[in-house]
Amino acid sequence: MAAPLRVAKHRQACVVGIHALPFSKNIGMTERHSGGLAILGALADAGLTVRDLDGMFRYVWEGTTEMEMARILGVPNLRAFGEVDYGGGAGCPTVTHAALAIENHLADVVVTWRARNRGSGVRPWSQQYMATGQDQFERPYHVARPVDGMAFHTRVWIEKYGWTPEVLGRVAVTQREHARKNPAAMMQKPLTMDDYLAARMICDPLRLFDCCLETDGALAMVLTSAERARDLGVTPVYVHGFAMGSGPQMTAMTFFYDEVLGKTPNAWVAPELWKRTGLTPRDIDVCQFYDAFTPQIPIAFEEFGFCAEGESPAYMADGKNPPYNTSGGGISEAYVHGFNLLVEGVRQVRGTSTSQAENVRNVLVTSGNVVPTGALVYSKDPW
Amino acid sequence: MSDANLDPKTAFPVPVADADTQPFWDGVARGELLIQRCGSCGAWLWQPRPICPRGQTPGPTWTRVSGDGRVASWVVMRPPTLPAYADKVPFVVLLVELDEGVRLLGYLVDGDGAMLETDGAAEGVAIGRRVAVRYHDQGGTRLPSFTLV
Repeated sequence: MAAPLRVAKHRQACVVGIHALPFSKNIGMTERHSGGLAILGALADAGLTVRDLDGMFRYVWEGTTEMEMARILGVPNLRAFGEVDYGGGAGCPTVTHAALAIENHLADVVVTWRARNRGSGVRPWSQQYMATGQDQFERPYHVARPVDGMAFHTRVWIEKYGWTPEVLGRVAVTQREHARKNPAAMMQKPLTMDDYLAARMICDPLRLFDCCLETDGALAMVLTSAERARDLGVTPVYVHGFAMGSGPQMTAMTFFYDEVLGKTPNAWVAPELWKRTGLTPRDIDVCQFYDAFTPQIPIAFEEFGFCAEGESPAYMADGKNPPYNTSGGGISEAYVHGFNLLVEGVRQVRGTSTSQAENVRNVLVTSGNVVPTGALVYSKDPW
Repeated sequence: MSDANLDPKTAFPVPVADADTQPFWDGVARGELLIQRCGSCGAWLWQPRPICPRGQTPGPTWTRVSGDGRVASWVVMRPPTLPAYADKVPFVVLLVELDEGVRLLGYLVDGDGAMLETDGAAEGVAIGRRVAVRYHDQGGTRLPSFTLV
């Protein structure tokens, strides 16, 4: 009798394929179409085919289920599949599930993807009148957009720590500079601090350039085991470790009704991530911080321990921080629920970013931070 | 009621109660602010729920509160997300921490419950300002809101 596989040692997962379709305001095809093309592109990047694919994980908000996508592509059999809820928070947790499936031998070649027609599609809140569940205490007060929830959080940091508009403007300007070096980025026009300050308020205290783009985009990533990667002739990007967290009393995008005010779920994710990886912020060479809105960057530097609480404005003004959101991020490259950050993190380890950092060993990627979320570290070296 | 019964040019979002939240909205209709309190540990609970999350005691008690509190955070709405808001912007939405400790949202209103067309500067809206509950009528729906005191 063969030994049961459950006793097999964990094996490390690594990213071996990435692909992004050109970002636009109107991609001219369905999400299942663009998502399928993104997956095929990522498989080709890895030197693999649909016949090799045996695992799929997606965001719950991804409109095409794993089964529909597997049918479209002709996947012979999915040995692992699943979904993680919500939009921006689901990125790193989805890759985490893919990595766990590989580590535990549930599947050998796993794909994750995000295809979203939000540039050509409608703004969800422009059609929503019936407010149920959590929404019944929010939406009737015009608290309907993600920016509304984030603006309440931002005000707390502004009044507690004396944030000036320039604290956020610096993030917008920095990310635009990155975008202008990245031909794939949607925003190529220069952005000055004066431009930032002069732009209209969307939900005061947040201005136009504090907000992410509205994008039609599709990206995918292929993961496999470190052992399998050696046969592929690609540069593996190792998934060093990951963590997930919701914090207490989670209400998506608001998260401000209970004892906790002035924290995001990353305050729970960060210690878990450092504990699981054995790393510290000093080991991180590049950050890809989830950026639906600019305040998420300084808050992330504080909550992941790069600087102390309240000190991010001085820390960033002095340039002590590692480079962040080197593709332009959600603010200036494209907004596809953070999947472009996951892909850019891979490029930084491969050495192929258009704003490449030097001597990259470890890259921190995070997901949306006032929703259930997660973070992960990619590494150049295996465990 | 479905979305189809509403005129999108004039309709506001409508709270849709369920069995766990109906007593709150019934109280609001009578001009009473009801918040759940755990009969076992005394914790005040928001949003409405069937079980106390502190000690897992079922069936918290709907309890009338004064509606006094302080501003915990606030924002100013500018571009309207629905046509019905077009002649109301700019207006302030408050996150209020009631004296009982729970936080809930409400418009900034005057002493009679009318929304103020303001960015909050003239009124000196800031975290920590004391507020009292008022009731604002929005297209036939009564919504708890708050006035500065």
